[in-house]
Amino acid sequence: MLEILGGLLALAFGAGMVGALSGLGGGVFIVPALMIVAHMPMAVAVGASLVSVVATSAGASVAFVRDGWTNLKLAMVLECATVTGAVAGAVLAGLIPAVVLEILFALMMLQSAFFSVRKQDDELIAHGDSIARRLDLVGEVPDQTGKPVHYEIVNLISGSSLMVVAGLMSGMLGIGSGALKVMAMDYFMHVPLKVSSATSNFMIGVTAGAGALVFLARGDVSTAVAAPVALGVTIGALVGSRILPNANVRILRMIFVVILVLIAIEMGWRALNGI
Amino acid sequence: MEELTLDKSSDEDRILRIWTPILLRTILIAASIILLTGLFLMLTSAPGFYVERYHAAQQANFVEREPFITMIWMAAHGYPHALLTVGLFVLTLVPLARVAFCFLLFIKKSDYAYVGFTAYVLVGLIVGVLLGRIG
Repeated sequence: MLEILGGLLALAFGAGMVGALSGLGGGVFIVPALMIVAHMPMAVAVGASLVSVVATSAGASVAFVRDGWTNLKLAMVLECATVTGAVAGAVLAGLIPAVVLEILFALMMLQSAFFSVRKQDDELIAHGDSIARRLDLVGEVPDQTGKPVHYEIVNLISGSSLMVVAGLMSGMLGIGSGALKVMAMDYFMHVPLKVSSATSNFMIGVTAGAGALVFLARGDVSTAVAAPVALGVTIGALVGSRILPNANVRILRMIFVVILVLIAIEMGWRALNGI
Repeated sequence: MEELTLDKSSDEDRILRIWTPILLRTILIAASIILLTGLFLMLTSAPGFYVERYHAAQQANFVEREPFITMIWMAAHGYPHALLTVGLFVLTLVPLARVAFCFLLFIKKSDYAYVGFTAYVLVGLIVGVLLGRIG
């Protein structure tokens, strides 16, 4: 038992650390790691991943919420969309053939890789649209001199639509869909990037939690796998977030993009060859 | 009127920023302790059972669907498998507890738009459990 437990803890620790260092969360790495290295079926990997994503989101959110980076009200509005998608996705995961899920997973990994390399500039909006203003979806971020800059939000409806898709992918594939969430907030709603990342991280807990509850209630979470994975990913994410401030983020991101593309190819190849 | 709204909003934000991290951290630590205890007991008292479960997972030949009340009773009596199950449930309760806390806060502050949003999320999470049980 010790070898299995040690192997799972090490695998999850590595996935959690890489997830924190790349800013993409543990799910996108732990699912392929469990499938390729531990020879787990996709459903088992997804169930274990969803539970561990809840843990990493809770751990990482603490500092962001306390320091004021998370837009709590925006998170609560958008969680309505992500929970709807996540519950539907987790239910569908039990019905859709594994091969389709594996191909979708490979595509989501490519989306994460694209998100990691694209140019990122904040375009702050001083006057949001009426619905966002009515819901008090405003905030402040420090500029380069540290002076607080007011921002507001636009395109709440189209951003929410993409959040439903993010939730759907999360429930089906066991990932946090952080890259998709940040893109929705950053591209569509013009939320500052750091606020988008912190808010996405906060929302991931509820999104993955909704999917995890469906899997747990259905009896599709293997405790023998999920328990060490949740612990390992959480510790790995904590270590990764400690290393991050001293790391060369640009080089790390490029390395992870290559890893993501390679894993996406491997997952796609496995799906198409029925492995 | 607008000033009152802003005051209410900033007060809500202040309470959320103080209590949300405490809530998240407390439940996360509790779940980790339960999971670690379960794994330790499994390692010392039932390693064969764990290996059997692990291989069953590899073959996708398992359903872990025992009634939750039974699991709590067994966890309280130190059954390692039950401790692991309860630990995982406690972990998934982190977001549920956080949303429930926000829901109660918004009721107290009479911020009904956000009472609606948080209630929707809570209902969504509960529907998820029910759909999982049926499916």
